[in-house]
Amino acid sequence: MNQGLRRRAMLGKMFGGLGTTALAGMLAAEQARASGRYSGPKMPGKAKHVIALWLTGGPSQVDMFDPKPALVKYQGQRPGTVDLRTERQTGGLLPSPFEFKKRGQSGMEVSEIIPQLATVADELCVIRSMYSFNPTHTPALSLWHTGTVLLNRPSIGAWVSYGLGTENENLPAFVALAAGDNGGGLGGSATRAGFLPAEHQGTSFDSGQTEPEKMIPDLRNQRLDAASQRRQLDAVQAMNREFSQSFGGDDFLEGRIQSMESAFRLQSAATDAFDIRKEPAAIRAEYGENNSGNSCLLARRLVERGVRYVHVALGGWDDHKDLFANYAKNCPAMDQAAAALVRDLKRRGLLDETIVTWGGEFGRTPVSESGTGRDHNPYGYTMWAAGGGFKGGLTYGATDEFGFKAVENRVSVHDLHATLLHALGMDHTHLTHRYAGRDFRLTDVFGTVVKDLLVS
Amino acid sequence: MKSKLIGLYLAAVSVAVADPAFFESKIRPVLATKCYACHSSKMKAPMGELRLDTKAGLLQGGVNGAVVVAGKPEESRLFQALSYQDTHLQMPPSGKLPDAVIADFREWIASGATDPRVDTKTVTVAAYKGMSIEEGRKWWAFQPLRKKLSGENGIDGFVRAGLARSGLKPSPPADARTLVKRVYVDLVGFKPSYEEVERFAAKPTEEAYRQLVDELLASQHYGERWGRHWMDVARFGEDNPTNEATNPGFAYAWRYRDWIIEAMNKDVPYDRFVKLQLAADLMEGTAREDLRALGYLGAAPVYHKDLRLSEQVIGGFLADDLDERVDAVSRGLLGMTVACARCHDHKFDPIPTKDYYGLAGIFASTARSERPLFEVDAATEKRYVWLRNRLFDLHYLIKLLTDQPTTVTGAAERVEKWKVELEALKQEALSYQERYPKLTESLEKYWKFSKDEAEEKAGKAPNAPNAVPIWYRSNASAEPFMNVVYEAAQVVDGSDAQVTMIHYKPGEARDFPVLRAGNYASPGEMTPRHFPRVLAQGEAEFKQGSGRLELAERIFTDAAALAARVIVNRVWGWHFGRPLVATASDFGVQGEKPTHPELLDYLASELIAHGWSLKWLHREILLSATYQQSSKPRPEGMKADAGNALIWRMNARRMEVEAYRDTLLRVSGRLDRRMYGKPEELQAATNLRRTVYGRVSRGRMNTLLKTYDFPDPMQTAGGRELTISPLQQLFVMNSEFLHGAAEALAGSVKAEETPQAAVRLLFRKVLSRDPTPVEMDRALSLLNGGTMEQLAQVLLATNEEIFWP
Repeated sequence: MNQGLRRRAMLGKMFGGLGTTALAGMLAAEQARASGRYSGPKMPGKAKHVIALWLTGGPSQVDMFDPKPALVKYQGQRPGTVDLRTERQTGGLLPSPFEFKKRGQSGMEVSEIIPQLATVADELCVIRSMYSFNPTHTPALSLWHTGTVLLNRPSIGAWVSYGLGTENENLPAFVALAAGDNGGGLGGSATRAGFLPAEHQGTSFDSGQTEPEKMIPDLRNQRLDAASQRRQLDAVQAMNREFSQSFGGDDFLEGRIQSMESAFRLQSAATDAFDIRKEPAAIRAEYGENNSGNSCLLARRLVERGVRYVHVALGGWDDHKDLFANYAKNCPAMDQAAAALVRDLKRRGLLDETIVTWGGEFGRTPVSESGTGRDHNPYGYTMWAAGGGFKGGLTYGATDEFGFKAVENRVSVHDLHATLLHALGMDHTHLTHRYAGRDFRLTDVFGTVVKDLLVS
Repeated sequence: MKSKLIGLYLAAVSVAVADPAFFESKIRPVLATKCYACHSSKMKAPMGELRLDTKAGLLQGGVNGAVVVAGKPEESRLFQALSYQDTHLQMPPSGKLPDAVIADFREWIASGATDPRVDTKTVTVAAYKGMSIEEGRKWWAFQPLRKKLSGENGIDGFVRAGLARSGLKPSPPADARTLVKRVYVDLVGFKPSYEEVERFAAKPTEEAYRQLVDELLASQHYGERWGRHWMDVARFGEDNPTNEATNPGFAYAWRYRDWIIEAMNKDVPYDRFVKLQLAADLMEGTAREDLRALGYLGAAPVYHKDLRLSEQVIGGFLADDLDERVDAVSRGLLGMTVACARCHDHKFDPIPTKDYYGLAGIFASTARSERPLFEVDAATEKRYVWLRNRLFDLHYLIKLLTDQPTTVTGAAERVEKWKVELEALKQEALSYQERYPKLTESLEKYWKFSKDEAEEKAGKAPNAPNAVPIWYRSNASAEPFMNVVYEAAQVVDGSDAQVTMIHYKPGEARDFPVLRAGNYASPGEMTPRHFPRVLAQGEAEFKQGSGRLELAERIFTDAAALAARVIVNRVWGWHFGRPLVATASDFGVQGEKPTHPELLDYLASELIAHGWSLKWLHREILLSATYQQSSKPRPEGMKADAGNALIWRMNARRMEVEAYRDTLLRVSGRLDRRMYGKPEELQAATNLRRTVYGRVSRGRMNTLLKTYDFPDPMQTAGGRELTISPLQQLFVMNSEFLHGAAEALAGSVKAEETPQAAVRLLFRKVLSRDPTPVEMDRALSLLNGGTMEQLAQVLLATNEEIFWP
């Protein structure tokens, strides 16, 4: 096999596919796939993977990571500084009923509603001063996922896949996991490739299932066993080879022959990668045998196998009412799963090269909505990152005395995007794609790397 | 920090503000410590191109223009940014400065913004500079079509001249069986049957080929195939990405699809075809059924607007809606990336920001609504389109403030007021009852307040896994209405601090201001609605209403050359798999140049001369030797031009998803040929209709379409990138769709007397040919232990089946 053919054969094996229109660009495509399209200066960041824990709806910062004693003092009141317009009308200040304690060697203050995350506080880089620009879900989600409220741009996972390429040709580089198929955290913007090549689109799987056959459409042939299927495939491939011979060398024909083989292998490879039932019982228990635990565990298995970016939807956090009661119900599974993921990655030596991010499209207001809930708050909220070069045990930035607006060391969505790309070794101003007449970026024309969040 | 600054303030309080010392003590230190880090002339690319460390830089301002208006702090962006009033314009980003410092800046600017600094070197500020309009007119795409052309003998002459220059020869003609398959897929979108192939192969004369082409162009299936190509450009979709309260799906988008198919079949001249889509409602003597064409704008993607949000936010969404139209029209019809000029003048092409807003104003003066398919007197209909919009908004607003407990102050009063208005409009709607009962019926939903829908939306996902959530379910309707647009200015009203309103002013038009950096909160100069200046011959401004009709007309007068080049190039690309200008939606500086500029101009001129008939263009292309070449690779061609830019062979490729799925249905004898009508979900096992009739959801694209590179219906597509991926092969190997096709095929050959006969028939049905002896042996040996269904699937899964050589 000559060099070109071998490359082609290798290309054909790739999971995500390759363009056949630009056949002259086969080599470029190959390189793009193997090493990504990022060609800017190499940044010091060494992270290779991202697991984005996504709390759709917007978790409450003042009930988890951003204690505000002043809320108690001014309970029910509405001082002038909290007169910020949010989506809905709000009332007086609503203190958190949850107790905050200093945790770990860093003394990070974490709420009692998330005791498991408190045990890994020294791994977390908590940013209390996040801010966003839009108080409604869809645009705010889009802003996080794609850097703009426009619903046609590529998502961060697609950009990372585009920039860094894949490590495992048998699996998609960008995977999104959500339990059920209810759009929870998986609105189009979370997985969109937009104008990037289609292979960078997030492939979504229903992590509410534990059997790979149920998670991946058409993964299994319902009518044939493996041996019969192989026999059938051999007949297909024999015809394909004869056809190629009569037609002459063609990249598409060659590529599809290889693609058939990788699809055949994928049936078992994916069956293995996606099967969390293969994990020891103790590990299953550590993560929690529920949607959150299963999704986080699956994310780890995928990252271990070279998947670049895993988006994990962890339930709904849009608590306009009954927030405290809901947190008592909903926090434990999320808390256990997220903490187990950080702990497990660390144990396996994967935390250095894997960034775990946590947060939603905005936070919630310190003032109450309907007495027992909190409204959307893009002015100031908390996100955290762990591993992959982010400083553990760091509490960065601050909101005002009530936790409404970020006032100190403010970090915008674009700033955090820039920082994440930096940690992945890329300069956000150089990760570009030319489309419709101009070079597009994840960070558009914004974003400053927040070096204080990073070890180096 | 705070106390230190305040201390500084107190110490210097006696200094007069116009005094240079005031700048030195109050302003410069703040600029130096808070601003220079990002806005310094020492940086290669200061943020926003703003340099605050020099006098010249301060005067120059940034990408959004001046930052200081001497004497007018409120109008100075520097002050606006410091005062943190606007969420999109807040500096420094690390947090608002103490009020005292901000007060200093106010005073300093109010008193004339004295800047005593002396710049030590000349600061050269590279302003954004694209091409001037004059230079732009010389750009190849904007020039008139060439009159004197060197090539002879049409397409083949131009292509051969190019090949000769590179020492290449064209390929020999494709064999008859390949050619007939090529033409079928190309013109009607599926492979021909064995009989259809053999009929042509028996006597493949030039005349027979010509007849075949004419026959297929006359087939109803032509419109299904070529209508779908246009739908890529028209970013056809039947809903929105989110389908929320204010942007539900388009119940009648399918009527626009049907109109496209019919128009293609009738060979409506391309200029008229486009004009109807932009302005059917404004054209004299438009047949009512042609109003369906307005789906191009009437079913375009729109953003949800939660009217509890501020004027700025709602205005921003409106601006995003307009941006979508500007982009779809300019790239789709003119190959111009006008949307690049939303925030600043185009960096490369001759498109100033004003040209962008000159187009945006047209769409700000165009509102979406629905119109009846049946005849209604003009006065009633004119009122109806507005009435529907207003009722929709009132219904939405009342629900918004009553469905959930709300704390909007004075909610009850507002709701009462709206209910009074709603009641009056309801009476008006009821007055149609006698003459047009369907009109009244279509509006009834707006005065009924059921909670079911809201509850289902807010509630948990349906129990069944993989059930389609309500907001992605099709709301397609067969009621006699159409999604259209009409002339009405859209105006965002922020006078109520808690509920922002959008007013539709029927018959009125409005201009749009330039938005600095694309920011709605930062409006600049008003821009009259006008045609892009580089294209305009004579006065650019529009005079009639929104200017929509003038836009449509001037595309085919002032910009006819460009419009013709763009559509010729697309059509060429759909036939050949590679357009002459590789970037089919960008003919600007950043795009590719044509591989055969003279050929492009020749076809463009001839298209116009032939009354913009696309069927003429198809014939011209299909009857050329260039098109009929073999697609097989030749070593010398591969060596000299592997990408086939010179067209030394036909391009071989795989079929698009529609043609593949339709072919699988047709060869297995299951294709349901019913044309037109309400869409069906493609994943439905019972849906055996052509793919073009499957629902296209912008919010939730069908998995098969997604897997096979269907373009994003949120934006006009410049072409499809055809990929190969194992997920596609899983569909071929394991899906119920393939199993169903294989099963049907197996059943259809059961009656054959011998296995050999059955195999032969199977080959004829699937691959339109007989098996070779080797294939016959292989098939028989597979049947030994395997089933006819398995064999059928083998044939369906082959490269030969999906390939389009």
